[in-house]
Amino acid sequence: MSDMKPTLPISIVALLVVAFLQVPVLVVVLTSFSETSYLTIPPQGWTLKWFAEVLSDPVYIRAIRNSLILAVSSTLLSLALGVAAAYALFRKAIPGSEAITALLMAPLIVPSVVIGVAMLQYVTLVGLRGSFLVLIVAHVVITVPYILRSALASLSGLDVSVEEAARVLGADGFTAFRLVTLPLIKPGLVAGALFAFVTSMENVPVTIFLASARQTTLPILIFSSVEMGVNPGVAAISTLLIVATVIVLLLAERWTGFHKFV
Amino acid sequence: MTGQRSAWLLIAPLLLVLLLSFVVPLVLLLPTSFQEYQPGQGMVAGSFTWENYLRIATDGYYREVVLRTLALGLGVTVLCLLTGYPVAYLIVRGHPRWRLPLTLLVIFPLMLNLVVRSFGWIVLLTNRGVVNNLLIDLGLIERPLKLMFNMTGLLIGLTHIYLPFMVLMLVAALQNVPRDVEAAAATLGSSRTHVFWSVTLPLTAPGIIGGSILVFVLTISALVTPRMLGGPTYQVMATLIYDEYMQLLDWPSGSALSFALAASTLVIIWLSSRMTRRWAGMA
Repeated sequence: MSDMKPTLPISIVALLVVAFLQVPVLVVVLTSFSETSYLTIPPQGWTLKWFAEVLSDPVYIRAIRNSLILAVSSTLLSLALGVAAAYALFRKAIPGSEAITALLMAPLIVPSVVIGVAMLQYVTLVGLRGSFLVLIVAHVVITVPYILRSALASLSGLDVSVEEAARVLGADGFTAFRLVTLPLIKPGLVAGALFAFVTSMENVPVTIFLASARQTTLPILIFSSVEMGVNPGVAAISTLLIVATVIVLLLAERWTGFHKFV
Repeated sequence: MTGQRSAWLLIAPLLLVLLLSFVVPLVLLLPTSFQEYQPGQGMVAGSFTWENYLRIATDGYYREVVLRTLALGLGVTVLCLLTGYPVAYLIVRGHPRWRLPLTLLVIFPLMLNLVVRSFGWIVLLTNRGVVNNLLIDLGLIERPLKLMFNMTGLLIGLTHIYLPFMVLMLVAALQNVPRDVEAAAATLGSSRTHVFWSVTLPLTAPGIIGGSILVFVLTISALVTPRMLGGPTYQVMATLIYDEYMQLLDWPSGSALSFALAASTLVIIWLSSRMTRRWAGMA
């Protein structure tokens, strides 16, 4: 028996585990359509009233808006800062580049809740508590490692001579980067940006220490409303988030073959 | 864009951001952790005490929370390993046609909002939740099982959250196992099971260790899922830090606990990287 294909029992166990991974998602989606004010499976009757309720609630609307503004601006800022830094590191013109890379990736290792309390104390100290800009910068800190990782990985697979050819043909450094290197690393960057966006969109441990009541984001709102007990409104907004995620993932998969970058 | 100067110009903005809003805040947390705290008055200016750190080791309540956090980390790691290995095996060694859909189904929950996933587990595990209702309807139990606000709930929820990471690490490791080594062992008369235990499994050890470290570290630093499934009473280190900062306003104690948590994750990562490097050196 030279072939090491999975046996039937192994395959069944594996498929059950994969099914287990989908269970909470299915439950949330199903319960959000129930007419009852408590959450139940199978749903009793079908209604869209919880969606209407959530989408007409100014508190939710503001939280969605805050989350999107925060995620988009911090992802774009991370992209600009991260790609520039990755390019410099890739060119190896800097002494100690390994230590610098380690520092830039460190926010992944330090527990988010620790980053959160450290920033809370810091912004209180310098008197910036409650500034939205602080929130954006904090999200840059926690998202930039994803950009950096994907940019470095894409750059390392790159043939340097292509950009050099462009330089020989008269392009200046930035033009060569923009017209030659950037298009080549774009799929990796899209994947990295998507990870950064998702990370920002779901962050609680850092945001909760820094956001004022008016700056509340969607995950914070769900997180704190659950402490008062579960209700179908939370299920409805969660379902909307799930649908949005599926759409974004499908688009990313189509554009870049996203699963290759995970 | 060549030369050292332009390279520094490219990297300086990000370095500055990280220095000012990551390194400095963390460093400034250190003095706080040595300050005395008077309930009702806050930090005592100019004080210095080891008390905040000593309490973590000596106070019964703190010790319970720390031990619970470590036990949780260990439990979730083992569960992820046991459930994740078959999935990774099926993805790498199963029919190629299943590969992409299975991979996407493993990644999908990972991309979903953490709060949403934890909320899903509340719906499932709460007293009148989906699981208890189902078990009662089936006549298997009479009264609802306590599945939340205890270790059971946290183990189930966190295993679900971190399983995809484990699977992805194991997939990478399994892909690196040279098939001809297995074939050689089989040709020499090893049974399938024996080939797996003596060749495949040891060759995936880097992935097993890497995945375990990752899951353990993520679990002991998790705040959202433990809080949502454990409530305000069943505390782990991260939720206790949260409460000390936001409810009790005991920042010195919270920052000492923060350093203890950060230090344990850093030490674990450092030890494991040393270990794997030594192994690589021996091979």
